[in-house]
Amino acid sequence: MFRFVHSSDLHIGKRFGNLPEDLRGRLREARHQAIGRLAGLARAQGASVVLLAGDTFDTETPTPAMLRQSLAAMAEDPALRWIVLPGNHDSRVADELWRTALQHAPANVTLALEPEPVDVAPGVVVLPAPCTTRRPGRDLSEWMDGVTTGDGTLRIGLAHGAIRDFSEEGSSSDVLAPDRASRAGLDYLALGDWHGLTRIDARTWYSGTPEPDRFKHREPGRALLVSIEGAGAEPTVTPAETGAFHWRTLDLRLFGDEDVNAALAQVLPTEMRRQTLLRITAQGRTRLPAKAELKAAVEHAAPDFAHAIYEDDALETVCESGDLDRIDHAGALRQAAETLLAESDDPQRAEGEREIARGALARLFSYCEDAPS
Amino acid sequence: MKLRAVRLHNVRRFAGRGVAIEGMGDGVNVLSAANEHGKSTSFDALHALFFQPHSGTPKAVQSLRPYSGGSPLVEADIETDVGRFRLTKQFYAGKRAGVVDLASGRIVAQADEAERFIAELVHGGSGGPAGLLWVRQGITGIENRSPSEKEEERKAREGVLASVQGEVEALTGGRRMAQILDACAAELDKLVTSKGKPRTGEPYDQALEERDRLASEEARLEADVRDLRNALDTRRKARARLAELEDPAETAARQQARVQAEQALAQARAHGEKLHAAEARESLARHNAEAARAALDKFRFTSQRALDLKVLEAAAIARRDEALAARTEAITVSDNALAAAEQAEMEEQQARELLARLDRALRAKEAAERLKELRERLSKADAVNKQVEDGQAALRVATVPADAVRELEGLETELAGLHAAEAARATTLRIDYDDGAGGRLTDGGAPLPDGAERPIHGTEQFRIEGVGTLTIRSTREGAASDGKLAKAVERHRTLLRQLGAESLRDVRERQAAASAKAIELETARRHLALLAPQGVAELRAEIARLQDLPVPEDQTEANPEAARQAHAAAGEKLAAARLAAREARPARDRAEAAVIDAEKALSSIAAERAVAEAALGAEEGRADRAGELQRVCETAEAAFAEAKAAAETLRAGAPDIDTVEATLRRTASAVDATAKEAASLREQLADLNGSIRTRTDGAVEEIWRETAERRAAADTLVRRFEMEVAALTRLRRALEDARTAARDLYFEPVMNELRPLMGLLFDDVSVSFNDATLLPELLRRNGQDEPVDVLSGGMREQLAILTRLAFARLLARDGRPAPVILDDALVYSDDDRIEKMFDALHRQSRDQQIIVFSCRQRAFERLGGNRLQMTEWRPDQG
Repeated sequence: MFRFVHSSDLHIGKRFGNLPEDLRGRLREARHQAIGRLAGLARAQGASVVLLAGDTFDTETPTPAMLRQSLAAMAEDPALRWIVLPGNHDSRVADELWRTALQHAPANVTLALEPEPVDVAPGVVVLPAPCTTRRPGRDLSEWMDGVTTGDGTLRIGLAHGAIRDFSEEGSSSDVLAPDRASRAGLDYLALGDWHGLTRIDARTWYSGTPEPDRFKHREPGRALLVSIEGAGAEPTVTPAETGAFHWRTLDLRLFGDEDVNAALAQVLPTEMRRQTLLRITAQGRTRLPAKAELKAAVEHAAPDFAHAIYEDDALETVCESGDLDRIDHAGALRQAAETLLAESDDPQRAEGEREIARGALARLFSYCEDAPS
Repeated sequence: MKLRAVRLHNVRRFAGRGVAIEGMGDGVNVLSAANEHGKSTSFDALHALFFQPHSGTPKAVQSLRPYSGGSPLVEADIETDVGRFRLTKQFYAGKRAGVVDLASGRIVAQADEAERFIAELVHGGSGGPAGLLWVRQGITGIENRSPSEKEEERKAREGVLASVQGEVEALTGGRRMAQILDACAAELDKLVTSKGKPRTGEPYDQALEERDRLASEEARLEADVRDLRNALDTRRKARARLAELEDPAETAARQQARVQAEQALAQARAHGEKLHAAEARESLARHNAEAARAALDKFRFTSQRALDLKVLEAAAIARRDEALAARTEAITVSDNALAAAEQAEMEEQQARELLARLDRALRAKEAAERLKELRERLSKADAVNKQVEDGQAALRVATVPADAVRELEGLETELAGLHAAEAARATTLRIDYDDGAGGRLTDGGAPLPDGAERPIHGTEQFRIEGVGTLTIRSTREGAASDGKLAKAVERHRTLLRQLGAESLRDVRERQAAASAKAIELETARRHLALLAPQGVAELRAEIARLQDLPVPEDQTEANPEAARQAHAAAGEKLAAARLAAREARPARDRAEAAVIDAEKALSSIAAERAVAEAALGAEEGRADRAGELQRVCETAEAAFAEAKAAAETLRAGAPDIDTVEATLRRTASAVDATAKEAASLREQLADLNGSIRTRTDGAVEEIWRETAERRAAADTLVRRFEMEVAALTRLRRALEDARTAARDLYFEPVMNELRPLMGLLFDDVSVSFNDATLLPELLRRNGQDEPVDVLSGGMREQLAILTRLAFARLLARDGRPAPVILDDALVYSDDDRIEKMFDALHRQSRDQQIIVFSCRQRAFERLGGNRLQMTEWRPDQG
């Protein structure tokens, strides 16, 4: 039986410029530490090999220090074999990167820079399809079809790129054949590029990133533990959590009259808050006061977390006459409020204009709360 | 609506107590009490009853609570068209609201319904003005106001326009409106300028700046990354190229090619030198062969020529000898002819001499005869000549010049005329002596004749004997005529002297004598010319010549005619002899020329033969020499053929040295260029390595991505600010529009109501209104106009009350009467003005309930109205 860990898209060196200063360093560090966590997972599960299916590095020109530190981290356990495949972010074009890596690569790290079979264990061959450039424009895994290996040899494909529309970057010119595993007689095809764990078929998997870097995939960072009994046997694939940070998207659906504080408290995670990046998207309908209340509640809760984003664009504001009474019972203010309300609900108007009117009304409401009659 | 009673319990200072103001009438009601009696408390409680929801505890409500706590209770009895009701509100614990129909005691509404009932009363429907018109010391609301707000209010109330506007806005809910507008504007102002531009240094501007900064940073980094990638690409290509260049097999092949080319060139050069030497040899051999051949040919030719010349010489000698013989014969013939001619010449000369002697003798006889005749003529001519010379001398003496004669004749005539004129004109003296007179008048000693007239010229003196000297001076004329006459007399005298004559007649006689002598002379001359036509001198010369002629010595007696014939015959003989000699001459000349030609030809042939013989050498060795020359020639030609063949072979096998050199150049340049390119590539690689390392060490790509993300975040922030600005701007516009609409709705009607009220209050003041704005513009006081912009405090509060009254009238006219409540609203006004104010109030209160709270008890005592009292009150139920 052969056991190995399949991972990809470590994106070591990613900077997170869109996030607050103090968080960036932590997120970068977490990406680097993913190596250690993968090594720990392999040791714990008795796997001898870690396959990295591309995009180990975020750019073609990582700083030498970062590259060296990554290799050093892999070198820590000499018993563990690492196979590193160039992806689209760190393709073969990045010759400075790979030259330096070759120079300093420890004995247990194999850089799969050429489409040549790599023996990783007795009777186990890895067929890598390194990305030649950022956009090769062709199916690089095609060569695997023509490779012959001895009887009973395990064939494991290693590739990086999109199958159909699973691309992280949305390009579709250089897709991998989804049935490459069966065409090339692979026992397993380890894919990278898509940051979310995805099963294509029993033998073809995207491991997803071990350390998420965005809210897109609503799942924790994971790696795959793969066990194959022998040539031709269906592999056993087990996901294992590896992420240090949780990128959580909370959908807060409101129906109009509920206690927004309670509703928020219900969805907010209670654990690992410091390690959690939140995106709270309020949806549905709410009253004017409740909307302000919710926003205040989110702002109140936010400091607990590594980061929190609140989006209420999709939250429809329901305005009843009682709400307007809180502005004024009558008079010019009431008139102004009603004008804005009508405008925000006017389907004749452009969405941008209605949004502005909604904003103006919310603002009027808060002014009136501050200046009681 | 009218208020009838107000009751409150557990409000502020009335902790645990209650107080009631009851019996409010229709018109003016006055509650006059000292301060701290609870007037303002009642006022505030009443306000809370009408305007604060019972469930809330805003500040206005909090302020009602006693320090000890508890639940404030407020109650009011009101009367409307529908009936009388009691409104009750309790705040805090046991909070409640209720409306009870006083007629039936039935509960009409509770809680929110009660609130709605009250709101209906106060507002009279959506958008209406407050149902109660409150005035308190220039302040309407009971809300707490910050010092700055009061300041703003003070400003707002400075002018009539602002004042009235402020009141109207307060009534139409505009107080909060203004606050909110200010807040909105303040917030907007933090973000943008009045023109909508981001305000420098504020968050919006900072966000924009940050966004722009990041965008440019991103662009810069992107360029950096592009450079880096280009550098990487270039380096990759350079490395590949260098590997190609440094491929050992290729390098060896290039070197090998160059070595081969060098060898080929060396071989080609050696071959070239050999060929060059062979060609030199070939050239020398050719020259030798040609020289030998020429020597042989020349020897053969000369031998032949020598033989020919020998024959030719013999012939030439024969021809010369013939010519010599011919010449000797011709000379003999010629000499004979010449001798004959000399003989003939001698004979002819003898004949000619005889003839000449005869001729000379004849001519001497003729000359002697002529000499004799000429001598006779000469003696005659000498005589005649003497005659002529004498005649000529006589004539010269006798001749008178003709013109002198003519002039003399003219002068005689003129003199006669002048004398006559003188006589006629001149002063004259005449004396006629008395008979017997003894004395006489003398003129220069000569007495003047008696009776004769004596002309006087100039001054003249006469002597009168016995008497004295008489001087007569004539001054008139005389002088000119005197000159003329004198001149003529003088000329006459001169001419006669020149002619040597006494008178004209004398001259004429001499003239006649001269004519006779001239005729004699002419006759003598003619005679002389006949005797010596050439002159006497010539005649003498002829004679001298003839005398000198020689006289012939001998007198030959031969016959002249025979001599002449002998001479002619000798002449003919001479001519024939000369002709013969002449004919013999050319033959002789020709013979001599032939001799010369023959000699010349012979000499030329002999010379040539001598040369040829010399060249051929001694006769006996000639055959050997010819053989030798033949052998030499053959040897040389053989050598030439050999050398030529050798050179030919080398020429045929010579490689093209240009091609060989070109090949070497090409292979050498290939090696050099490769080395150079490799060196240049290594340099380029070194440079690239440096630049790439700098960039990768600086993590430029990561920083670029980071910057791009930060820029995206900055974009989002900017969008939020934009949204914020848009929302605030929209809100401000909505608020301003609403306020303008409210103002338009109420302002004009209120102004219309206000105008007559102002007339009531200010009877000493007339106010003029601006037609366009409907606002008071000028205050006319004591006949003086003053602009209505700054008002006194009293005037302001009065204006505020009047505006409220005007508003109340407006509402009443609409069928929605509302009470006007004044709380110490006239603190700044003097008593006189307060009276006038109350006149206005009373007049107004016919159809208007007015409730006045005042601490100015004395001033208000005189004012009439329904006096109210505050009484203790205890609510019916807890």
